[in-house]
Amino acid sequence: MRMRVERASTGQMVLASVLLLLLHFWVRPRLFGTDSQWAPDFLLLAFLLFAMHSGPGAGALAGFLVGLAEDALVPARFGAGLLAHTLVGTVAAWGRSVFFTDNLLVTALFLGAGLWLRDLIVLLASGGGDVLGPLLTAGAPHALVTALTGTLLVLLFRQWFSVRLDL
Amino acid sequence: MPIGVDRPEARRDAWLPLVCIGLAVAALFLPARIGYDVAAALRAWSPLRALIWLQEQAVLGRTSAGRFAVVTAQRDSAILAARRADQLDSENRRLRLLLGLGDRLATPFVTAEVLRQELPTDGRTLLVSAGGERGVRIFQPALAPEGMVGMVRTIAPGSAVVMTWAHPEFRASAVTEDGRLFGIVAASGGRDGTLPEMVFRTASYRDTIPQGALILTSGLGGVFPSGVPVGRVAGLAREQKTWERVYRLVPTANLGTVDHLLLLQRDSAAVPAAIADSAFRRRQEEQVREEDDEP
Repeated sequence: MRMRVERASTGQMVLASVLLLLLHFWVRPRLFGTDSQWAPDFLLLAFLLFAMHSGPGAGALAGFLVGLAEDALVPARFGAGLLAHTLVGTVAAWGRSVFFTDNLLVTALFLGAGLWLRDLIVLLASGGGDVLGPLLTAGAPHALVTALTGTLLVLLFRQWFSVRLDL
Repeated sequence: MPIGVDRPEARRDAWLPLVCIGLAVAALFLPARIGYDVAAALRAWSPLRALIWLQEQAVLGRTSAGRFAVVTAQRDSAILAARRADQLDSENRRLRLLLGLGDRLATPFVTAEVLRQELPTDGRTLLVSAGGERGVRIFQPALAPEGMVGMVRTIAPGSAVVMTWAHPEFRASAVTEDGRLFGIVAASGGRDGTLPEMVFRTASYRDTIPQGALILTSGLGGVFPSGVPVGRVAGLAREQKTWERVYRLVPTANLGTVDHLLLLQRDSAAVPAAIADSAFRRRQEEQVREEDDEP
């Protein structure tokens, strides 16, 4: 069964993004504190949900801006977050239009894989440490929690993000 | 020609990702200093400043509610320790007078909340909630109650970035608790965890440091005061060409759980005691020498 939705207005998209920003910077630190691997990455979710339903140009630009913000907050190696988010944004926008169907499970996998790919590129670009360890230990629960939260958000706000779903 | 390639949206989708990726790659190869400056400027002069403030309020809210019992217990322990400290302090002052040393100088500090981020490299640097307006300066030591964490790398209004010991560029001079062996503390590629492991490199090949020995900052280098706990020896990591031993350390302060830091202020009035003592002794020696030289 396909759930039809109307295309979201710019206002709805902006409202959804502001909501996710508040969740990221206000709710996440209050709920999770230092247990950041169990905290969903709302900023990445907002950016991926936007990129998945826009063209590669808009996806890359959104990734560039989010990456700039992440690099300002974690400047361990400036440019690593920028490159990672830009690539993930481009791949998300392009891959969604070429490969993926509007299926809930595929969307969840896509969100988890997006976070993992982002982390992989950040670790590779930053250098100076183990890559596989962080991806398998902290990265796995982080990707799982983010994918589950993203799926829940898609179900709740599919109209705001213009998401059509095959349930 | 494929249908739609001439549409403005299609053209934009072709060139915009390339431009963004090109700029991102260029940013990656910027000198580190410029990268840090750009990051600090973005934190100070973009909407990020409001978001950092929001996160700070959330962290403060969580801290005040969730850690009240822990802080109360720590305060009770501190009161007990402080009772004994008064007696030790006066004893220490008398001994210093006997040795001709000046008063031990106190080191002022600024407290700051750690604002956790989502990138996997969070931990190599930590964003903290105190900035230049509160007297935070570059290269100020950042300590947790348990021991050394790192030093301030960049500052902006309302925030600062601390480079922790897990950063590949971090180094600190350290010494064993008995003052016998000096070496350098740095990060080394982690084996199984999310963070690299801390190692202590010492050039003294003939001496062995027992497992569990405490390593402290030596005070050399002018960044960290002496005597700050760094870590405990967990074993020998490797030996290099029979002249250097590298020991694996268990850090006293856990970067994964630390939630607030003390940023020591390095004003002229707050020179670490060891350095102040050396300077005082040298002045005294020079005076004695001058008096001896006089006819």
